[in-house]
Amino acid sequence: MSIVELDALVESRATPLSMPVPLPARHIAELVETTCARYARQHAFTAVLPNGMYGNLKFDQVAQYTDQVAAYLRVELGLAVGDRVAVQLPNSLAYPLWSFGALKAGCVLVNMNPLYTIPEMVHQLNDSGARVLVLVDLFADKLPEVVAQTKVEHVVLVRITDLFPRLIGFIAHNIMKYWNRIIPACTVPVTTGLEAMAKGEAILRDGKADIHSYTADFGPDTLAALQYTGGTTGVSKGAMLTHGNLLANIAQIEERVAGNVEHGKETALAVLPLYHIFAFTANLLYFFHAGARNILVASPRPLSNLQRAIENYPVSWIPGVNTLFNGILNEEWFTDYPPPQLKGSIAGGTSLHAAVAERWEKVTGSPVIEGYGLTESSPVVTLNPFVGSRAGSIGRPVLGTEVRLLDVFGEDAAPGEAGELAVRGPQVMLGYWQRPDETALTLRDGWLLTGDVAQQDADGFLRIVDRKKDLIIVSGFNVYPNEVEDCIARLEGVSEVAVIGVPDAKSGEAVKAFIVPRNGATITADQVREHCRASITGYKVPKSVEIRSELPKTNVGKVLRRALRDEAHQPVAERTLGGTNG
Amino acid sequence: MVSQTEQLLLALMIGVIMLGMGSSLTWRDFRRAFKRPQAILIGFASQYVLMPLIGFLLAIVLQLPPPLAVGLILIASMPGGSTSNIFTYFSKGDLALSVTMTTFSTLAAFVMTPVAILLYASRFMTSEISVGMGSVISGLFVMLIPVIIGMFIRRRNANVGAVLELIGGIMGVVIILVLILSWVPRNASLLATTPWQVYVAAAGIGAIGFFFGLITATLSKLGFRRSATVSLETGIQNGPLALSIVLLSFTGAIANDIVLIPVLYSLFIVIISSGVTMIYRRINNQLQQRTVALL
Repeated sequence: MSIVELDALVESRATPLSMPVPLPARHIAELVETTCARYARQHAFTAVLPNGMYGNLKFDQVAQYTDQVAAYLRVELGLAVGDRVAVQLPNSLAYPLWSFGALKAGCVLVNMNPLYTIPEMVHQLNDSGARVLVLVDLFADKLPEVVAQTKVEHVVLVRITDLFPRLIGFIAHNIMKYWNRIIPACTVPVTTGLEAMAKGEAILRDGKADIHSYTADFGPDTLAALQYTGGTTGVSKGAMLTHGNLLANIAQIEERVAGNVEHGKETALAVLPLYHIFAFTANLLYFFHAGARNILVASPRPLSNLQRAIENYPVSWIPGVNTLFNGILNEEWFTDYPPPQLKGSIAGGTSLHAAVAERWEKVTGSPVIEGYGLTESSPVVTLNPFVGSRAGSIGRPVLGTEVRLLDVFGEDAAPGEAGELAVRGPQVMLGYWQRPDETALTLRDGWLLTGDVAQQDADGFLRIVDRKKDLIIVSGFNVYPNEVEDCIARLEGVSEVAVIGVPDAKSGEAVKAFIVPRNGATITADQVREHCRASITGYKVPKSVEIRSELPKTNVGKVLRRALRDEAHQPVAERTLGGTNG
Repeated sequence: MVSQTEQLLLALMIGVIMLGMGSSLTWRDFRRAFKRPQAILIGFASQYVLMPLIGFLLAIVLQLPPPLAVGLILIASMPGGSTSNIFTYFSKGDLALSVTMTTFSTLAAFVMTPVAILLYASRFMTSEISVGMGSVISGLFVMLIPVIIGMFIRRRNANVGAVLELIGGIMGVVIILVLILSWVPRNASLLATTPWQVYVAAAGIGAIGFFFGLITATLSKLGFRRSATVSLETGIQNGPLALSIVLLSFTGAIANDIVLIPVLYSLFIVIISSGVTMIYRRINNQLQQRTVALL
């Protein structure tokens, strides 16, 4: 897609907004620069390894190093405005440098999950047309095949320990290489992250780069990132997020937490991967903008990897997802001594179970505020207020954001009735990259169709009833899996639960629950049904219950009901504890 | 026996190891250990009630001659050794609990060890056994001071702490290997002339201690991680303390007889602990929460 076509797209979606959202900067490069100048000598990022080894970046270092990255990309590699740079890194010091650096260079950032398989990488690299791939060395063994099948011209290979103190980085790198043996040999020509930055530094020293000129004519409608998502149709496609989309979302989050986030004084835990839109906007953009110190954890698997990060730093904010909060609550070191400075947690990504929220607030003594968003909306659409947050609600729409609830005919649902949530606001994407058909299915007259069914209270608070396609219809009655899951999650001994509909001869569909018990707990199907009957109507009670050791999940811990439904077509009879009554 | 310089070197190495162990700890870990005093109490009970009893019964079942029986009861009545902390660390157990238990049992040794010896050893021998308190104190210092220094270092700079922890860990493996490899050639003639009952007693006291420590703690619902910690604490005794008590209390041929089981114990316990630690480590690893791969 050319820039001219993009401009046409920008104009076509131009619908008047109900309320303008004041943007904190003209574009992200400017935001990075002003933020770095404001908090110069404070810590911006600290990467913590499971054994407690760490590396720091101060704000002024972020400014300096991102300039080097930008100079390297533009002068050394010869990239132009709008060229795509794929960044495929776990949470590490290199992540902010390469993502911000690419944006400073006027390039378009393509975030990629480091755990992607070769075909997934090839698809995303070809679809986005990325010319440069910035990859973590842990997956260098995928390069020969990937490079051969894509148009990637340059590969920058970075280490998790890049920019750590020299000796610490050396020790940590060699532990990973020779003891853990997780760093494979690299057989294709690459530039290392540090070499690239050194080249950028030399270019800047020789006065061969004018960083400001790269983004001089950028505005809110300039494309900033291609954020890949399955969306509602399942095909992996790039949501086109503009500088304005992302900046608006920063302002929208700011308005909702105003007064509770003290600029320049917070410590935010970045345990969700930054390549994912939630942590990207919450940690990398919002908390960075707020002058917070982001504590970067590369992998919370096992969860004990988080222990040193939480023990050694005064964590005051934790953005997370249901699975993460639930998992942390099962860690004794956390529940015995929850971080004393914790002010609040932000839940998104997937619905937060009421049982988890209640326990989290009880254990940490601080609120968890639930929000709602999608990749296509940068992501935040609604967020609860810090004070007066409502359990089970995703809050009210954020500043400058309009919502509608649509019935099956695409008309506004009656007040108080559930309907498909449609969103309009400055954070809504331009469309999907080079996929007008997919865009047309999702964006209608400036309204983003979310595929989620929601209900709204008289005072504007929204509640997600469920995904439109996850709805279970039992003998004509609607059953929303979320409600059943929420109920089962309250049963003693339940660690995780997922509920889906399975074909049933008598009722059309029947409710089926998959349960992962807590360590050492035993749960029977009868127990589950008895527990459910006490609080939900009979037709919603699971007809069958399957006990599992794990549930299929996405990379941010969303339970994949679709994968469970696919399996259900070839049921494994011996694992099912299913009964007969419903 | 080991020479003076070797002993000093050994103490120094243990000091470095304990510095590393301390670097992995925070005050919170100790507060957590005290939050569940039942673990400390169960550790205490298995250390001073279970172990001397096992030693006594083993001496009777194996029909050991009196000097050997006294040696066995002596080793069974000792407080926990600081090597238990190293093995607990490697097994991914509750290190703070282990250090706490070792400290408590060492302090309690002033009363409990003479009581246990009086209770069980007097049946085999009437001569007075003097328990040398000096070495108990110095042993405790060797263990605790570097631990506390390590904790402070980690607080000041987590990077230095992590490096010390790593060095301590490597040193721990080295010392275990050195102990095992140097012991056998050094005591080859002793090994060749020792009857099988003595082997069974010297190896069995540690192994049975591990087993019953684990069972008692598990029955008390401490959870696997803490039960494994109690188990290691119960089975691993302060061997050097037993040796010094023998040397202080006896001379001549009888001293050589009494010292035999404590000396053999010191060899076997390192070997058995290494094996048990590997098993515990594997189980502790499996019990860690595997959340979704978020990387």
